[in-house]
Amino acid sequence: MRKILPVLSVLLCSFLFFLFSCSPKKTKEQIVIWHWMTDREDVFNELAKKYGELTGVNVKFETYAPSDVYREKVRAAAQAGLLPDIYSPLGAQRELASFIKAGYVEDLTPYMEEGWKNIFFENVLKQNSYSEDNEWEVKPGIYGVPIDVVSIQIFYNKSLFEKAGLDPHKTPQTFDGFINVCRKLREKGIQPFVSGFGEEWLVDVFSRSFEYQILGEEGIIKTIKGEIKYTDPRWIKIFELFEKMRDEKIFAEGIVTMINKDAERVFATEKAAMALNGSWGINVYSGMNPRLNYNVFLPPKLVDAKYPVKIWVSSSFLNVNPKSKFKKEAIDFLKWLTNDEQQVLLAKQTHNIPSNKNVSNVIESEVLKNFAINIDKAFPTLPVQEHWKVVGVKCKGIQSIIIGEKTAKQLAQELQQEKEKILSEK
Amino acid sequence: MKKQSDITSFIFVLPAVLMFAIFTIYPFIKTFQLSAYEWDGISPVMKFIGFKNYLNVIYDSLFWRSMLNAGFITLLALTFQNLLALILAIIIDRGIKFEKFFRTVYFIPPILSGVVVGLVWKWIYDGNYGILNTILRFIGLEKYATSWLSNPKTALLSVAIVHMWKGFGWGFVILLAGLQTIPRELYEAASIDGADTFKQFWYVTVPLMIPIFFVVSILTILGTMQIFDLIYSMTRGGPAGFTEVPISYIYRYMANNELGYATAMAVVFGLVLFSLSIIQIFVSRKLKKV
Repeated sequence: MRKILPVLSVLLCSFLFFLFSCSPKKTKEQIVIWHWMTDREDVFNELAKKYGELTGVNVKFETYAPSDVYREKVRAAAQAGLLPDIYSPLGAQRELASFIKAGYVEDLTPYMEEGWKNIFFENVLKQNSYSEDNEWEVKPGIYGVPIDVVSIQIFYNKSLFEKAGLDPHKTPQTFDGFINVCRKLREKGIQPFVSGFGEEWLVDVFSRSFEYQILGEEGIIKTIKGEIKYTDPRWIKIFELFEKMRDEKIFAEGIVTMINKDAERVFATEKAAMALNGSWGINVYSGMNPRLNYNVFLPPKLVDAKYPVKIWVSSSFLNVNPKSKFKKEAIDFLKWLTNDEQQVLLAKQTHNIPSNKNVSNVIESEVLKNFAINIDKAFPTLPVQEHWKVVGVKCKGIQSIIIGEKTAKQLAQELQQEKEKILSEK
Repeated sequence: MKKQSDITSFIFVLPAVLMFAIFTIYPFIKTFQLSAYEWDGISPVMKFIGFKNYLNVIYDSLFWRSMLNAGFITLLALTFQNLLALILAIIIDRGIKFEKFFRTVYFIPPILSGVVVGLVWKWIYDGNYGILNTILRFIGLEKYATSWLSNPKTALLSVAIVHMWKGFGWGFVILLAGLQTIPRELYEAASIDGADTFKQFWYVTVPLMIPIFFVVSILTILGTMQIFDLIYSMTRGGPAGFTEVPISYIYRYMANNELGYATAMAVVFGLVLFSLSIIQIFVSRKLKKV
């Protein structure tokens, strides 16, 4: 017994040490915010300090990057009941719905209805909102706070346009015009177009810019519901656009395995004349090549399209943990973060479009202004969402078309088969 | 006294046993449990679906295609990678100048981070900036310059080459250790009996190295079939799924919150690897007897 006692004591002490060192330490009124935005870390810390001095409430921003690591951390924390006061599930509507139904996201509708919602771009706020007829049976309402806005258009290198004999102030307005520009660039040995098509979501973004033109919102909803088949001639026409672009050799070498970072490098080092990328690219390109001479234009319009051009617009949303001990303080902080003064500071320091529409005129960059004026063209937020497997087959299929492994009709058939499998499982 | 000694020993191993139980046994059991459910990892309710996930795995052509891709890389690793490791081990065992330098250099690739190796080789293979294409153009073989990781004909082989480059060092070390346990007198005796180099290798080295070959083979199969870091950093399973392997496919389902199906695939994958190991052990025992 005498020999065992010291050993037991050591084990007990070690156990108690680990138990208490793992416990979350919280001082009085401290709001903890988890985010993934490494480029905004400095300005967030500055704002947190400012708020603390103003109100006496401590705010702590914790960065977890990259975004897929952040997502996994949030999911693990949700299961363990260790979510912070403010965070984001960082997923599509379907995933956010899971979090809401599991009780991890506060319904902000009452706070928004007090007038707070009026400062935001309506179509941006909708992205973290649910309507009456949403397929996930989530209580209709607003669940997230946008803190800035990003959008995707086509960047183009003015110098390379000039080199190819093109007018850098005249961007292609139609799909045929876009193809002609690409031909002229190719003739001069310049790769016309690059994007991070190794990341499926970017393939989806580019495809959707044509899908909305041909099918419209109603047609997309009907397709998701299974009322319009993927073998419909309109869908085949969309996929044939990629065949056309492939045949015209518009795509940069290796595009289908490029992550967006690689594509950004290709554009920044002037190895390609155009790049489908987001407004965050402005910061990225200024870091990679400050002398890059560029601007942006909308995805090309199809001449016989029934519907207008739409683009991807999104926001960095923050959500409130309903189980937070400082819920009221967390919401007050988010109100403060999205007010005019703070949004101006955020916009100037991060070069992102402010989510507060009242201050969108503070944007100095001409390129960023071109992003901001087109926010109204955002893909609409639908009450339904296509199954991720179907989207995966579509994006892989488009990659296959680009590398010459599939035809548009083959993709349409495969997509319809996958869709029928998903519908039969429901 | 003995009882006290047993209790003391038990107390000392208890922390390690607890760690093993929490981080190995519990997840192992939980994987089987999750595979019988449909669950997104967030909802408090998990829907029991029995063996439905397993049935879906059997009919999932993309899963089996990913197994074939991993199998292809494994076959190359079993043959070319291990053959290279054996040749180098034999050369080092015979004694050459700067033996210690070569031993160290050959073991550098295996200890490098898989993700770092993948990113570096991605640059080498790059269609726009890659040094491989630059060299090919320089020596007049421009027609072979391509986007190695985006071309479905070359993508999987390109990844396999990197895997073999990174992995041969492990086999080399184990095979060298095995070679060095063979008594030199056996080679001297064989030489006296008139055996040339090849016959010494075939009748002395090979029989005594069979257990080592099988250890290296099992480790190669288990390690290569579970390849992920190189795939993720080089191709993410692209182009269009041509380099998808089981772990990257399972990861895709996990990332899309289909935990039940992902764990079912993991169980099936584990069973396949287990079966391969059993077959190898059985064949090894048979060969030993022969």
